[in-house]
Amino acid sequence: MSDQIIRVDMTHQTVATEPFPEAWKLLGGRALSARILLDECDPACDPLGPDNVLVIAPGVLAGTSAPTSGRISIGGKSPLTGGIKEANAGGNPGQDLMKLGYRCVIVKGQPADRDKRYGLEADANGVRIVEADAYKKLWNYAACEKLYEKYPKSSSFLTIGPAGEMLLTGASIACTDEKGHPTRHAARGGLGAVMGSKGLKYVAVDPGKSSVRQPAVRKDFFAYAKEYTKAYQAGPQMFKVGTSSVVPIANMLNTFPYKNRTEGQSPDAATLDGARIVESFETRGGGMHNCMTGCIVQCSNVVNDAEGNYKTSALEFETLTLLGSNCAIASWEDVADLDRLCDEVGLDTIETGAAIAILMDSGGMEWGDAEGAKRLLREVAEGTELGRAIGSGAVATGKKRKHARVPVVKGQALPAWDPRPLKATGVTYATSPMGADHTAGLIVNPGLPPEQFAQASQEVQVVNAACDSSGFCQFLQPTCEDIAKYYSLFTGDDVTREQIADIGWQCLQDEWAFNDRAGFKPEDDDLPACLREEGVGPNHAMKFDVPREIIEQARKQRFAAREELYKLKATG
Amino acid sequence: MPTLAIPPPYRGPTGGAAEVEIPAGSVAACLDVVEARFPGFRAQIIDPVGRVHRFVKLFRNGDLLTGDVLAAPIGPGDRLEVLAAIAGGSGLR
Ligand code: SF4
Repeated sequence: MSDQIIRVDMTHQTVATEPFPEAWKLLGGRALSARILLDECDPACDPLGPDNVLVIAPGVLAGTSAPTSGRISIGGKSPLTGGIKEANAGGNPGQDLMKLGYRCVIVKGQPADRDKRYGLEADANGVRIVEADAYKKLWNYAACEKLYEKYPKSSSFLTIGPAGEMLLTGASIACTDEKGHPTRHAARGGLGAVMGSKGLKYVAVDPGKSSVRQPAVRKDFFAYAKEYTKAYQAGPQMFKVGTSSVVPIANMLNTFPYKNRTEGQSPDAATLDGARIVESFETRGGGMHNCMTGCIVQCSNVVNDAEGNYKTSALEFETLTLLGSNCAIASWEDVADLDRLCDEVGLDTIETGAAIAILMDSGGMEWGDAEGAKRLLREVAEGTELGRAIGSGAVATGKKRKHARVPVVKGQALPAWDPRPLKATGVTYATSPMGADHTAGLIVNPGLPPEQFAQASQEVQVVNAACDSSGFCQFLQPTCEDIAKYYSLFTGDDVTREQIADIGWQCLQDEWAFNDRAGFKPEDDDLPACLREEGVGPNHAMKFDVPREIIEQARKQRFAAREELYKLKATG
Repeated sequence: MPTLAIPPPYRGPTGGAAEVEIPAGSVAACLDVVEARFPGFRAQIIDPVGRVHRFVKLFRNGDLLTGDVLAAPIGPGDRLEVLAAIAGGSGLR
């Protein structure tokens, strides 16, 4: 059977499938989502109303035997930023949808009865909407446990927690990992609230016995995948012990924000260092694993409690920073509890950590009050007034507390990587259609000369957009050349590295066009005053002082492609 | 002349320089020379008690240095390379 699109009408609770256009065969993930949103979603719509469109799109190579290639993009108009959003996640739903031949799911409309909950089922027998009131208000782990009672063990799920059901703008969409836990989140931008606004509690995908997608040039594809895997494994394997291992370097580089970003270094770097997590494997078990089938990077840690029982996965650098250091919470174990709570309630750990830090900074909670933070996350699920503010993110919390230091771009909280020591990354935060997002184009080079910021930012944004459209995880660090080779062998066409860069650039163009129509203005492409006025590092001298003209260059026109572009590694 | 290759995250003190020339001698002596030229560089490699940071690895002509890394000799024509266990912005910049 040819590849299909699933169309879901939540107003009438109907589903239909249609052939996936041949002309789109090189579009997947983020680029596909952007194209569909630009064509089918009114950028001026209410993001939580019936006219918003939720797109679920695995990358082009998902479901194939290419290593680390099954990522999924979730797209829509963000209720957090008011602009376009793509949130990328691991776990198995991307692999499983593609094994069934479904290139994307497009969800529109809204049920008249807003109290009803529904599930979407996809398997070898087709696609159906089913009633799901029994799952209402369940936290993500409980929801997945119950789903595994109903669906075969071969299934994977996308679910929302109470935050998404309450339409909170910090809500995430969870994807189940290899072990069936709802740990991998399409977290940024509040897309969990969009799914909640459509009455959709879960998507269940059962690939059954479907095999991996077959490439056009089989022998060469398998040989290349084997050779690529071997070369990766012979290299430095930067993420072998997880992203949390970068804590000490980030701290040294003044990009480990402390107390709502008033400092770039934390006195608690040693107790938040991922090395402590790795040490815990010895006595408690846990360890490193792959969050989705076929991942050779295996950057995802499984964290156990002192009794050796599973607690959470994965405890990442971003989470240790935003829910740890940035809130002056010093213990990685407390952050592990907070991570689990965010996964349970269905919240973005970055946005939530930023919101809690703002509450603390404004005097609403003591710095470092880990137990208070845990209570607060339970309050999000209960829907208290303060809980709702926290669950709605940094801007909502700043408004509630009448607090001015709110480090966001286009309404989205900054990730850990700080734009004051890493100014080119700041150019990405300012110009990315997503708002402040390190996965849009991170540049950890504090010595980069200012005249190179715009081109460096644009190039990494192009490569990351291409990567997020391919299904590859950014941690595999593929280049445009790598992606072109895989696409060529998979499709049987001669796909060039230039075409791959063009896909990345066109994706950005589509996203910027959507945002322009949604009402964003050039002045929205900037960082907040607190980052321009307040410094970090020695004498607080590192400020974000990049002139507007340089920022504008990053999106105004495309820089002429140079050889380096095609060899630049995607990076997140 | 031996050279020191510097990964992007460590180029703050060198003002963006990716490679600098160093004299032959021990790794520690080479780092002293780089520090004199680019203050703040050595602290990125060596911790306050004088050991190489756990998260830094040094390679001489592609071979990982182990044992007493700071005493390892760097000869004329050698290439000393710093590897930072951090990704973002790797590749060519
Ligand atoms: S590299 Fe890490 S985040 Fe990416 S797919 Fe593999 S385990 Fe998941």
